[in-house]
Amino acid sequence: MNVLVDADSVRQAELLDVSEAGPAPKRIIAGFGFWIFLLSDIVMFSALFASYAVLAKATAGGPTGAQLFDLRNAAMETAFLLLSSYSCGLMSLAINSRHQRGTVFGAVVTFLLGAAFLNLELREFQDMIAVGASPQRSAFLSAFFTLVACHGLHVAVGLAWLVLMMVQLSMRGFQQVVVRRLHCFSLFWHALDIIWVLIFTIVYLMGVLP
Amino acid sequence: MNLLGKLDWTAIPFYEPIIMGTVANVGAVVVAALAWVTVKGYWPYLWREWITSVDHKRIGVMYLMLALLMLVRGFADGIMMRTQQAVAAGGAQGYLPPEHFDQIFSAHGTIMIFFVAMPFVIGLMNFAVPLQLGVRDVAFPTMNSASLWLTATGILLINVSLFVGEFAKTGWVAYPPLSELQFSPGVGVDYYLWSLQISGIGTLLSGVNFVTTILKMRAPGMSYMRMPVFCWTALASNLLIVAAFPVLTALFAMLLLDRYLGFHFFTLDAGGNAMMYVNLFWVWGHPEVYILVLPAFGIYSEVSATFSGKPLFGYRSMVGATLAICVLSYTVWLHHFFTMGASASVNAFFGITSMIIGVPTGVKVFNWLFTMYGGRVRFTVPVLWTIGFMVTFVFGGLTGVLLALPAVDWQVHNSVFLVAHFHHVIVPGVLFGAIAGYNYWFPKAFGFRLDERWGKAAFWCWFIGFHLAFMPLYVTGLMGMTRRLQHYDVLAWQPWLLVAEAGAVIVMAGIVCQVVQLVVSIRHREQLCDTTGDPWNGRTLEWATASPPPAWNFAILPRVDEIDAFWAKKQRVRAKQDTPRRQRGYQPIEVPKNSPAGFATAFFAAITGFALIWHIWWMAGVGLLGASVTWLAFMFRTEDEVEIPAEQLGRFDRKHSVEVSL
Amino acid sequence: MTEARRDVAPGDRPAIPAAERSASAGLLVYTIGLLLAGILTATSFWVANTTAIWAPGVPAGLAVLAIAQMGVHLVFFLHITTGPDSTHNVLALAFGVLIVFLVLAGSLVIMANLNENTMAHTEMMNLQMQR
Repeated sequence: MNVLVDADSVRQAELLDVSEAGPAPKRIIAGFGFWIFLLSDIVMFSALFASYAVLAKATAGGPTGAQLFDLRNAAMETAFLLLSSYSCGLMSLAINSRHQRGTVFGAVVTFLLGAAFLNLELREFQDMIAVGASPQRSAFLSAFFTLVACHGLHVAVGLAWLVLMMVQLSMRGFQQVVVRRLHCFSLFWHALDIIWVLIFTIVYLMGVLP
Repeated sequence: MNLLGKLDWTAIPFYEPIIMGTVANVGAVVVAALAWVTVKGYWPYLWREWITSVDHKRIGVMYLMLALLMLVRGFADGIMMRTQQAVAAGGAQGYLPPEHFDQIFSAHGTIMIFFVAMPFVIGLMNFAVPLQLGVRDVAFPTMNSASLWLTATGILLINVSLFVGEFAKTGWVAYPPLSELQFSPGVGVDYYLWSLQISGIGTLLSGVNFVTTILKMRAPGMSYMRMPVFCWTALASNLLIVAAFPVLTALFAMLLLDRYLGFHFFTLDAGGNAMMYVNLFWVWGHPEVYILVLPAFGIYSEVSATFSGKPLFGYRSMVGATLAICVLSYTVWLHHFFTMGASASVNAFFGITSMIIGVPTGVKVFNWLFTMYGGRVRFTVPVLWTIGFMVTFVFGGLTGVLLALPAVDWQVHNSVFLVAHFHHVIVPGVLFGAIAGYNYWFPKAFGFRLDERWGKAAFWCWFIGFHLAFMPLYVTGLMGMTRRLQHYDVLAWQPWLLVAEAGAVIVMAGIVCQVVQLVVSIRHREQLCDTTGDPWNGRTLEWATASPPPAWNFAILPRVDEIDAFWAKKQRVRAKQDTPRRQRGYQPIEVPKNSPAGFATAFFAAITGFALIWHIWWMAGVGLLGASVTWLAFMFRTEDEVEIPAEQLGRFDRKHSVEVSL
Repeated sequence: MTEARRDVAPGDRPAIPAAERSASAGLLVYTIGLLLAGILTATSFWVANTTAIWAPGVPAGLAVLAIAQMGVHLVFFLHITTGPDSTHNVLALAFGVLIVFLVLAGSLVIMANLNENTMAHTEMMNLQMQR
């Protein structure tokens, strides 16, 4: 971006409002654009949540949430994801200080915790299908699997992204574009934890209530 | 294991003469065009300058080309339906068997909304918004290219459905249970779903792009209340895209899961709830019509101000009305299914909100009228389309207020009265505005104006033809004619439908006039040349560039101090109170590098979509792999910008001097 | 360039120059966030399982705790504040929350209403089936 302003049009004493300062720097543009994308993703999840809420009782004579959900499992998944958000935060701090070892360490911990979360979730799905509670059994199960698996898919994509970012970091160091992308990743990862809060509250905790 | 999934020779409708004839003709034209490009050696140019372009101006032009092409296809579907209904009265069966007719009305709606109206307004926003904001490009140029090509993929798929397989027979809304596997076992609904799912991703990314651009990238000094109104309406429209399209994505994903994996979201059995589809569809569907109409309203604002030689009346109330429409559009959606089981109180709530949402639009109409009142109005082609809009849309909107009353809606829902209503608002609202914008910005894009005479002829054909085609439908609707009828017994409807057919023919003449207009303009481009960059004595920043603008738009970003800064400066310069340009040195600038990533992504998306439709799983895998490799290549590219040296900037500016630069 | 009030990308700490901000301050923010979120999560699990709370109030309690947890994430992990440099980010978030609310509340009200109005009640269905 290149702006030359004449001396006569500079108002030295006044502070320009940010809305008049011209195009924003790339970090802000990239961050805000990704933020808007995240909000669109959250709207998509809300449509899935709405469907789940409407279909939660449509068990078609099949198993209900109360019968299927293992709250201990859900608690462990929650712990893993929350801790991975924390380690992601630590990774952000390391990036701010341009500390490569710290960044990689934070990323590895985040990855392992995220992978552990996915492992538990896949096991849960497997167990449910084994007892006949497959998504084809009832509308409730269709909605459950879709909502939770959509979140899990986002987690999986996030993990793949994280690996690629570490590869890129090792190749290029803390170049501007790498830092911007890592920043977007951390926004993504924290947002996933926020969605999970809603999932474990609405699906699991409310699902086992009488 | 069958390597080609469900695909075999029976997929091609050799026995349908109309389809085969169309395919033969269109195929011949396409082959001839490709051959011509090859023979002339234009491929390297096309690849370098257009296909891999990330320039918002080029992308905007390509969107418009797609829209105009699909307008012809969508219109062909429309006139085929009109003709069928004009003849299939009493015992006559017409020439379109029901399975064919059903696909035509489904394709007509789908194409007109998703592949004509959307690309048209998105293309115009692409072209004009960065120029009006005084910046060099959108926030994410390569993603912009991907959005365009993903839309093209959707278009490709829906056109392929014409001769490989079939299209959906469910109407453009595809309600279950009809759209479920049980009642639509063929590939038609899958073509619909994948085509829209893929282009929907492109649209969503466009939304993200433009919201970021408008909020974070404007020329220095351009605060919010100094932005052109078209940029405000573009902002509102793109905010709605970001808010609404994800719902459609989730909804189609659910229907796809039902069809492909036997889930039970909307099935008749196992607890499925088909009404939830209807609900979520219209949660998307109502904001969608505002996504389409808001940019058109912005164009009317620009056109009426420019050609009246006056500032837009009531800038602040325009902005307020736009934002009000943006939010209110999310509170009315049930009016699309008043008759489908809600209680009176729920219906009443949405009926009231549907009437309230007419108010901000009314504010806008008054503002346009007051803009033109007292001005020296030049009756150019864009102004004709604008006045045509004002005269027509007001009545269409009034029928909307009628329909907002649940009691009235119960009488006419799903009759052709409804069909008349929504054409009565979308055609003058969106299409007239888009055509006005096309005529208005054409000289900026190509350096020469469009022929006025053929433009006016096109307008009058459209205006007269539209009224003849749709006003009779109000009458037959009130006489009880249901929509989407392939044949009917009530002979009293037929005279009206013959008038409607005549209207369609006149609209066709209008489209022909537009094609002729383009050809004639290209032939006479020397005489129609725009030498100043400002053919209309415009008010906003895009007219401060050469026609066409260089890739970088502005060598030095303009400094803006007021609304309509370009107009204000022009007036001062003409009154000798200001110098035409500031003496400033050029610095080299960086522009985004062209990239094949957008095109490649869409190419692989097309392969994946086609493969999923026909259950060719290995091919779908190949497509996804290809797309992933494309993203990896893009992610790891080392150069993303190209430097333009200062002398090149200076040379261009000297060669294409504009009257005034900011 | 003239001095301009600064703008901040979402997720960035509010406009404090990087040099002044210490790493330990950042660590503290994330750690407090983790602890608060952990406590709220544990409380949620307890509320769902205990008999100590009046049963009809449990869903409301869970909802409140969920909102609190999301708030903790937004403030401590995503650094969304109400400062002047964060206006766009907050407005965008508010817009998103509004849309989510309209979609969820609207859909739930409508679907419940449709269900109530159109689905035959079980006694009537049984009668019909007995015929």
